[in-house]
Amino acid sequence: MKKNLRDMRPVYVVGIGLHRYQRLSETPYVTLGLTAVRQALADAALEWRSVESAYTGTVLIGMAASRPMLRYLGATGIPMAQVENASASGSTAFRQACIDVASGLTDVSLAVGVDKPGPFAMAPGKARMRDLAGSRLVPFTHFALLAQEYMTRYGVSAQQIGMVAVKNNRNGANNPYAQRQKARTLEEVMAGPAISGSLTRLQCCPIGEGAAAVIVASDDAIAQLGIDRNRAVRVIASVTKTEQIYRGAKNFDAELTRETVEQAYREAGIGPGDLDLMELHDAFTIEELLYVEAMGLCAPGKAAGAIAAGEFDIGGRCAVSASGGLLAMGHPIGPTGAGQIAEITRQLRGEAGVRQQPNAKTGLAHMVGVGAVCVAHILRKGA
Amino acid sequence: MPNRTAVHPELYSPDLADNPSLNGGKCRACGYVFFPPQRYGCESCGAPPEKLEAVQLAGRGTLHSYATVHLYMGKDIEAPFTIGLIVLDDGPAISSTLTNRTDEGLAIGDRMKSVLVAASTDQEGNETVELRFAKAGAGK
Ligand SMILES: [Zn+2]
Repeated sequence: MKKNLRDMRPVYVVGIGLHRYQRLSETPYVTLGLTAVRQALADAALEWRSVESAYTGTVLIGMAASRPMLRYLGATGIPMAQVENASASGSTAFRQACIDVASGLTDVSLAVGVDKPGPFAMAPGKARMRDLAGSRLVPFTHFALLAQEYMTRYGVSAQQIGMVAVKNNRNGANNPYAQRQKARTLEEVMAGPAISGSLTRLQCCPIGEGAAAVIVASDDAIAQLGIDRNRAVRVIASVTKTEQIYRGAKNFDAELTRETVEQAYREAGIGPGDLDLMELHDAFTIEELLYVEAMGLCAPGKAAGAIAAGEFDIGGRCAVSASGGLLAMGHPIGPTGAGQIAEITRQLRGEAGVRQQPNAKTGLAHMVGVGAVCVAHILRKGA
Repeated sequence: MPNRTAVHPELYSPDLADNPSLNGGKCRACGYVFFPPQRYGCESCGAPPEKLEAVQLAGRGTLHSYATVHLYMGKDIEAPFTIGLIVLDDGPAISSTLTNRTDEGLAIGDRMKSVLVAASTDQEGNETVELRFAKAGAGK
């Protein structure tokens, strides 16, 4: 019979680590990744030799990235694999680590995301499919089209959409790991430069370098390795889906998120009202409005009003992208999804400092990848 | 006599300048109509390539959204230009460059039609054309 994550052994996040997301530098990816992994090991108070499998979420740094990085923690012979799922690579690496522990294949597994900007080749372009718009339709224009349609349908202004960047940059200003650590006014956000449609530069996420690591463990490991149970955060749902056929101009980004997150709620046995915080795929401001509506946090067309009312601020009913999100924390691609898990874990432990969402008990991480894939995880405080 | 060639001859024919049809596809098993054409298999029901047939899609539809692109790295067109998302009368939603350089005068819900516009002309007068969409005149 089919099982979901909750029917299997409980899985807990026990260690998190990050290397700051930043503009491309001379720092080798090995340094970025090791910084995050060592921090996660220290956070969990674990030795590297306790880790029994490792997944590296990466898109841009090239073939066979794991061992040239992880060998410097001591060669232990464990299984390693690279995970590529576009922007959802880190989320997918985390899911694979969770599956290893939940199934009993391992007691302790690592998901690490690491990337540096560089040349890349997109497989979809090699499918030998041409369309009319071709390279003139890049992601920022895809989302500019969705923004225009949203504004027209609901009577929402470009400035109201721009408020997403104001909120998330305010959060990022308090995150030492964020690429953009500066609060911005709405005037600054709207000032440009204009990119596409109503989207300005500060309404598009920065692509930089960085790393994020998450260690997951079983109950057995927590007991045997002396891991602090009070700081363990349980993973209560892990769902990934791909796009289906949506007729006409139906917004497939929102539909895919709706289906994926609905299933995650079902598996976790919760509803949108139970979420205290979420990290979502806000590569472009309009996405936050579309996704919080698709996830049932407010009615269609009401997200801009909810943001203006502070409902998604830290301290509001559900803090959305307390880390700063992709817009401010940044989007180094491979690490991004793992970094979301790190932020939610920090929040559920009550260790997020000035970014702390009060009394956070349940959080959701959501990423979308080209292709189109969607990954959602729900985490809950306490073991 | 100068030649006229299409940038994407697999997507449309360069013969007709005004309102050309698009080369689409249809699944004989489930009726799914799609664009651009492909011979891999039906995205909707999974029927094999033998079940797919070529169909001409009328170059007419309704504007679902639009965005003026200000930042563009490519060399085939200069920014600003405007991309439209159009739901064809035959079903599929497609993205196309519009004849309007900016979004001035455009509104969601506008009726749109295909036109061929000259993308470039060489010294002998040979023309390269590409398909874009323009607002269809009132009453058409
Ligand atoms: Zn079919």
